[in-house]
Amino acid sequence: MDNSICQVYEDEIQSLEEEIKLLAEKYEDNQQEATFFSDKEMLMSIKSFQREFQEVSKGREFPSGLKAQLESLETDLSFLMKFTGIQFASHSRKTVEKTRNRTVQKHRLSGNCHSLSFQLEFQLLEMQNKKNVSAVITDLSIIMESGEDLDVSKFVSSTEEHGNLLTFFRNLSSCAEWYEHRRCTFLHFK
Amino acid sequence: GVLAHLEMLEARAHEAAVKQEETEQQEEKLARLKARVQELRLQRDELRAKVDLQQKRQLGQEGVVSDPEQPSAQAVLEWKIKSVKDMLQIFYLTGISGKLTKHGVCFCISTAYEGTYLDSYYLDLLTKPEVQIHRHSVPIFIPLEQIAKKYLQTDIRRFFSVLSDHLNAYAGRRYQADQLQEHFSDQIEGTLQRNSLCNLLVFNYNTSGKSKTFPFNARLLYGDLCCSLPTEVFVSWRLDAPASLAETAAAHSDLFRRMALHKAFRTFSSAERLVD
Repeated sequence: MDNSICQVYEDEIQSLEEEIKLLAEKYEDNQQEATFFSDKEMLMSIKSFQREFQEVSKGREFPSGLKAQLESLETDLSFLMKFTGIQFASHSRKTVEKTRNRTVQKHRLSGNCHSLSFQLEFQLLEMQNKKNVSAVITDLSIIMESGEDLDVSKFVSSTEEHGNLLTFFRNLSSCAEWYEHRRCTFLHFK
Repeated sequence: GVLAHLEMLEARAHEAAVKQEETEQQEEKLARLKARVQELRLQRDELRAKVDLQQKRQLGQEGVVSDPEQPSAQAVLEWKIKSVKDMLQIFYLTGISGKLTKHGVCFCISTAYEGTYLDSYYLDLLTKPEVQIHRHSVPIFIPLEQIAKKYLQTDIRRFFSVLSDHLNAYAGRRYQADQLQEHFSDQIEGTLQRNSLCNLLVFNYNTSGKSKTFPFNARLLYGDLCCSLPTEVFVSWRLDAPASLAETAAAHSDLFRRMALHKAFRTFSSAERLVD
């Protein structure tokens, strides 16, 4: 008799813990997504952070963990952009739905590859299933600056149709090189 | 008599003591659980209120109440770190991402079929004295060594492009076979026969899940390892089947050559099928 009451409490505890975890994540996501600090504010924060640390450490060797982490991440990012040729100018995301097994986020991304610039919008659905997390792109919308170019627009509409975000990026640099080549040739003959 | 009686009384007392202790432990446990539930309920309610307030602010319902305290430098840094991490996650969606290591770079190649992301593969590269592969998670049936020999030293971007072509094509072929097995298992006799590279598929099938016979046999060969469509298709039909099937087989053969396997099945499968 007592055991069943225990079970009821234990079930409620588990469900509350899950709910708390989800709410905490929602809170973090909302904070992150609704905030924006300009580069100037960033620089000021880093300087003030360093000062705070110097005061505390008073000359001792005090590794500024957060700053080091940020530098390492930014180095990785800048390496990737150089290596792939894909420069991202801006990114924003909005969590549209979040449950225990399912997260849906709306993303806005802009950038360029050589002289081809692009603007993307898509929805990313992530689902937790037994083995792993699956990711699916839907509602892909691509705007290319050189959209009037026939080849480019054909490329864009076929990738949009099937949500082929990966194909878009994989072909982007060859598309950009080709576009650049044609543009230079055209200018040459102008 | 007396001794036995005394023993019995002792036993009973012992039993009672044990029961008493059990009851006390139960009560203690219940009290602990109850307290924990209340603590968690409070925590949950506080979080709910916080999230509600956030959402109201975003919808402009709470008016422009700017944060009275300036965010600390630490909060700003933490925000930036998350932003950069998000950006690095986006690179995953582009098909190639990575991380600098002490001795070189660890790259991650992601694969996808249309909008669905599939497995990703790692390549841990050393950059000194020359570029070499330290460790990787590329399956053994992908000709990694060949591709590396050809491009790794001379044109590393080409190396990744070619490797990515192989991996994406393999992932695409495997995905199609998996989708067919998952959604059309009643139209396939037994399980789909395939090799590890998923470039040879053999199966017997019919066009309606209700039929008990599998008059068609399909043999798909994907000769181009960088392609997820077959280069050779053979569709045959059983000797005892009506001659009209020859036309159907030819039509299917054409479909398999032009479109993804599971999509081809969707096209010709009986209209009586329940749509998934």
